[in-house]
Amino acid sequence: MLRKLTITACLTAAFALSQVPATVSAQELVIGTATGQTGGLAPYDGPAMQGFQIAVDEINAAGGIGGKYKIKLISKDTRSDAAQTSIAAQELIDAGISVLVTPSDADPSFAAAALATDAKIPAFSPAASSPTLPLMGGDYMFANFPGDNVQATVSAEWAHKQGLKNAYILYSPDTQYTTLPLYFSDVFKKLGGNVAGEGTYTIGQQDFSAEVTKIKSMNPPVDVVMTAAYEPDFPAFIRQLRAAGVTAQVIGSDGIDSPTTFSLGQAAEGLVFSTAGHATPGSALEGFNKKFAAKYGKETDTIFSAIGYDLMKVIEAGVMAAGSTEPQAIRDAVADLENIKGVTSEITYKGTTGMPVRQVTLIRVKEGERELVGQPSPTADLVPAPRMQ
Amino acid sequence: MEIFIQQTINAISLGGTYALLALGLAIVFSIMGMINFAHGELMTITGYTLMYCGLAGFPFLVAAPVAIGVAILAAVIMERVAFRPVRNSSGATMLVTSFAVAVILQTLFQNLISTRSQAVILPDMLAQSIHFGSLSIGINQILSISITLVVLVALNWFLRRTILGMAMRAAAEDFSVTRLMGVRANGVIAGAFAISGALAGVAGVLWVAQRASVDPLMGFIPVLKAFIAAILGGLGSLTGAVAGGFALGFIEIYLAAYLPDHIQPYREALALGMVILLLLLRPNGLVPAFNVGREKV
Amino acid sequence: MAILTVEGLHVHYGAVEAVRNVTLSIDDGEIVTLLGANGAGKSSTLNAIVGLVPSHSGQVGFRGESLVGLATEHLVRLGITLTPEGRRVFGSLTVEENLLLGSMPLGKAGDQRKDNLDRMFGLFPILAQRRQQVAGTLSGGQQQMLAIARSLMSSPKLLLLDEPSLGLAPQIVDTIFDQIVALRDSGITILLVEQNVAMSLEVADRGYVMAAGSIVTSGTAKDLSSSHLIEQAYLGHE
Repeated sequence: MLRKLTITACLTAAFALSQVPATVSAQELVIGTATGQTGGLAPYDGPAMQGFQIAVDEINAAGGIGGKYKIKLISKDTRSDAAQTSIAAQELIDAGISVLVTPSDADPSFAAAALATDAKIPAFSPAASSPTLPLMGGDYMFANFPGDNVQATVSAEWAHKQGLKNAYILYSPDTQYTTLPLYFSDVFKKLGGNVAGEGTYTIGQQDFSAEVTKIKSMNPPVDVVMTAAYEPDFPAFIRQLRAAGVTAQVIGSDGIDSPTTFSLGQAAEGLVFSTAGHATPGSALEGFNKKFAAKYGKETDTIFSAIGYDLMKVIEAGVMAAGSTEPQAIRDAVADLENIKGVTSEITYKGTTGMPVRQVTLIRVKEGERELVGQPSPTADLVPAPRMQ
Repeated sequence: MEIFIQQTINAISLGGTYALLALGLAIVFSIMGMINFAHGELMTITGYTLMYCGLAGFPFLVAAPVAIGVAILAAVIMERVAFRPVRNSSGATMLVTSFAVAVILQTLFQNLISTRSQAVILPDMLAQSIHFGSLSIGINQILSISITLVVLVALNWFLRRTILGMAMRAAAEDFSVTRLMGVRANGVIAGAFAISGALAGVAGVLWVAQRASVDPLMGFIPVLKAFIAAILGGLGSLTGAVAGGFALGFIEIYLAAYLPDHIQPYREALALGMVILLLLLRPNGLVPAFNVGREKV
Repeated sequence: MAILTVEGLHVHYGAVEAVRNVTLSIDDGEIVTLLGANGAGKSSTLNAIVGLVPSHSGQVGFRGESLVGLATEHLVRLGITLTPEGRRVFGSLTVEENLLLGSMPLGKAGDQRKDNLDRMFGLFPILAQRRQQVAGTLSGGQQQMLAIARSLMSSPKLLLLDEPSLGLAPQIVDTIFDQIVALRDSGITILLVEQNVAMSLEVADRGYVMAAGSIVTSGTAKDLSSSHLIEQAYLGHE
C-alpha cells in the first residue's frame, strides 16, 4: 500500500514538474481566469473579462508589467456553476498560475477561494461585492468592488437625507449579494428610520404580486423600497410595483447597472441605485469607455467592463510592488496597496481584510438616462459589520 | 378582506400562467410519455421574437401573435429534428434528449444573441392598473387571466369537438389502438407539439409582458414550475395540469402573502413541502390521468 | 381467392421467439379461427400482421399487396382492422367519440360516416342508448361491442378479432358470436383469435392451431372439432 502511494506520489510529482516549466517562464505572469462566460453570471463576467483583456493588451503592448513581466492568460469557463468553478480553479492552479480570477459572484468564488488558499495563490473576484467573501474566503481572497455593507450605508444615508422615513426591504436569502438590503435595514434603523417590513423572494421569481400587495397595504404607507434584486427579477418587481400604484422611492444596487434598467420606461423613472463609478466628462472612466468602443466596436453597456480593467490594474500594481511573479509575494503586496488609480475609483487594500475601499456612486434613472446623484463617502461608524452566515 | 381578494386575484393570475405551461408539458407527455424540458426554451424563443419585433417597430398587438406563431413553428421543428428519432426509445433517453435540446438552445441564444438580458419594449399600458375602490388590478393581470381563460376554453373546444382533438385524447389514452384506427402517429404527435408550442408561446408573451426582458436562461424556472404543477395535477392528465398549475399558484401566493416575515426565507421549501404532502395524499395527482401506468407510443 | 396470406412469419421479442415460421391464408368471405393456449403466439401473430410489433422475417400479403414495413395506420385504409385483445376502448371518450374515431380513414366523407354510425347503432342498439356515455363506464360486454363496432366504422374488408369473448359472461359471448356470423354474412372476412375453442369452431369455416409459436395443425372446423389434435396442442403434446 505504502509503495503504491509512493509510486503515485512520484508519478504525480514527475507529471507536475514536467508540466510547470513548459508553461511558465520566469519573465511571464500567468493569470488563470475561472469565470462564468456562459450561464447566469455571463452578463457580469463577460464584460468584466472584456475589460480585463483591454488592460492585459495595453500592458503587454508596453512590454509587460514594469517592462519586465509579460502577462499570459489562461481562461476557463465555469458555466456559472460552483462545482465547475472549483474544477476550473484546480486545473488552473495545477497549470502553475500566479494569480487566479474567480467569478463575479461571492458564492461560486468561495469554491475557488478554498483551493487558492491551499495553494497560496492570490485570488480576485472582479465584481463580487459581499464583504464576507474575503473574510470567509481566507487571506488569499480579494474582492474588487464596493462592499454590500458600504453600498447599503451610502444608500441608507441618502434616503435619510431625502427625508424618507418608512422603508420596506425585499431581499433573497438565495445568495450573499441579494441579502444586501439587510445591511440597508440596519443602517436605516440606526439613522432613526422605520423598516415596515422585510419581504423575501426567490432568485428567478417572476411574480411579485403577493409582495407588491403587501407593500401597498402598509399603513402608514411605505415611502422607500430597497432591494438588491437584479435581472430578471428586478424589472418584473418594479413594473408590478408601479402597476399597483405604489409611488415610493425605489433604491437598488449595482446588479441593476444594466441597459434593461434604462429601457423600462415609466416604471423605472426616478429609481436610484448604487454602483461603482460614473463616466463624467473628462473622467478616466470615459477614457476607458472609448478604448472599449475602439476594441469591441460597440459602446460598453455596463460598469463591469471597467471593473475588469481595474482588476488588472490592481494585479499590475501588486506585481510591481512585489517585484516578482511569486504568488505569495504578490498576495502580500496587494494587501498593502494604497490609492491605486483605477478608472472607476481609487482603490485601497491596506488596512482592509481584502474588501477594497472604493468610491460608491449613486445613479438616478431620469428619462431613461443615467443621472449622477453623487459619489458620497459613507460615514465609517455606520457601516455594518459583514453579516456572516 | 380587500387584501385577501387582491391576493386571490394575484394567485389566479400566476396560477393561470403555470396552468398554461403545465398543459403544454402534459399534452406532449400524455401522448409521447416524455417530459419536454426544452419547453421553457420555446418561451425564450417567444421572448426573443417579441424583442426583435419591438426593435423592428412592430406594435405589441402584432408582435404577440407573431411570437406565438414562431413558438409553434419551433415546437414542431423540435419534434421533427430532435424527438422523432428517439420516439420509440426509453423514457430516460427521451428525457435526456429534451435536456440536451434545452442546453443547446440556451447556448445558441448566448452565443448568437447575447449572454445579457435584452430589454423588450412593451406598451406602457401593461405596467398600469385599473382601480376598483381600493382594489387595483394590473392590466397585465387582467390580460393574463382573460387570455388564460380564452386559451383553456379554446383548447377544451378543440379537444372535445374536433376529430383531431378527439384523436389526440384517444392517443393520450392508448396510442397503439389510435394508430389501428388509422390515425397517423406523426400527425398526432406533431399536433401535440404544435399545441404545446402555442401554449408556451402564450405563456411566454404573458411572462415577458411581466418582466420586460428576455435572457438565454429565461425558460428554466418556468418549466420547473410547470413540471411541479404537472406532477401535482397528475402527470399526463390535462385537467390535472390545469388544476396543478392553479394549485401551485395559490400555494405560492398565499404563502408569500400570509407567512410571517421571519419564516418567509423558508417559503420555497414550505411550498414544495405542501406539494409533497398533497402527493402523499394523492399519489397519482389531483386529477390522475386516465391511463396511469400504461405504456406510451 | 385469398384475401390475406402469411408466409414464414417470425416474431422475436429480444431473444424470445414468440412466433415461428407461421404460414396461413384466409379466403374472401371466410371465418378463420386461430386457436391455441395462452402464450401460443396468436396475439403476436395478429400484431405482426398489422405492424404493431415488427416481424423478424416473413411475408404478409393483403389482396396480393405486401404489408411488410407498412405503418399500422395505413392498414385501415387498405381495409384491414384489428379489434385488440382486452377491448381497449378509449375509456375517457364517449361511445360516439369512440365510434367516430373508428371512421377516421373515411376522411371527409361525412355521409358515409353518418351511415356507418347509424348502422352500428342498428347492429348494437345498446350503444345507441349509451351514445353520450363515457366508454370507461360501460360493462365488459358493452365495451366489446363498442370495440367491434369501432373497428367496423371504417367499413373494413378484413376484420381481425383478438379474443372477443375474453372475460365476458356466457350469454354475452353468445351474442358476440352471433354478431360475428352476421358480419361475415354481410361480406366481411374474419380472422378470429380465440381461446374459446368450441364456440370458435362452431362459427368458423376453417381453423389453425398454434402451440409454442408454431402452427401445429390446421383444417376445416369440422375436422378440427372431431380430432384430438387440439387437445394435444393445448396440453403441450406434439
